[in-house]
Amino acid sequence: MEDELSPAESLALIEGQRAELRRRRGVRPELISFAWGLAYLLGFGGWYLALQGVVPAALAGVVLGLLGAIALVLPIVLGVRASRGMRGPSRTVGAMYGSAWGLAFAANSVVQSALQQQLMPSWEVSSLMWASSSLMLTGLMYLAGAMLWRDMSQYLLGAWMLASAAGSVLVGVPGNFLVLAFAGGGGMLVLAAYYVIRR
Amino acid sequence: MTESWPELDPVIHAQARLRVMVALSTLAPGDRLTFPRLQQLLDMTAGNLSTHLRKLEDAGYVEISKTHERRTPVTYVALTPSGRRAFEAYTESLRSLLGPPKGEP
Repeated sequence: MEDELSPAESLALIEGQRAELRRRRGVRPELISFAWGLAYLLGFGGWYLALQGVVPAALAGVVLGLLGAIALVLPIVLGVRASRGMRGPSRTVGAMYGSAWGLAFAANSVVQSALQQQLMPSWEVSSLMWASSSLMLTGLMYLAGAMLWRDMSQYLLGAWMLASAAGSVLVGVPGNFLVLAFAGGGGMLVLAAYYVIRR
Repeated sequence: MTESWPELDPVIHAQARLRVMVALSTLAPGDRLTFPRLQQLLDMTAGNLSTHLRKLEDAGYVEISKTHERRTPVTYVALTPSGRRAFEAYTESLRSLLGPPKGEP
């Protein structure tokens, strides 16, 4: 026969188990925000420095590509892990939300590529179009996530991303890369920090 | 076993079953976990988990459904609505045992 738990022990066990289960299931939103925040901050920050001639452009490109790839793969791995052995509406919602990111960015890359082929803009305008449309989609996806999971912090970040996307175009090249790095990346790092504190 | 805490639901107030209830309560309503995944998350033996699940099922707190997926039998476990309510009531009574109710100094 087990020893009987006191109410205090019981409550402590509940709190401890909740945190333990989240960790075991692989529900780690702070890791995803952190990976994206870092990719934006160092990736676009590096790009700005390359334009200023401070670091070689090749290095900035590699950093952006590498961190971007990690940030892209991480949510997929974590999502698959969290939904293992699970059925029900959450899994469906998660799959719809995850694929919505892919669809949105796939459609955007077709739109941007086609527009640029027809308009033949300067590389400055071209980079403004790519970066601001990507940031705008990111903002919209955060707004959608906020509605799905009733998460006010995601809503605030989404609204901030939309403002940053608009701001980056108004600032123009090369300042737009600083907006992407600090407003975009910074916003995501703030969200990651908030998730860690709230836990 | 002596009943030192008559206010607390005896079905839930046992370490192993409490852990099962916490695990299932972290799922959103309508979501289910496979038996092996629950076993892995809780680090319990299959026999031990079955025993406790049966007690929870008898109390109407847990629903166990067996289906086939690609000809393999799969067992899903989920909280019932009354199980979710019972778990909430249990944590409420823990809190009220531990501290004065809200609004009192």
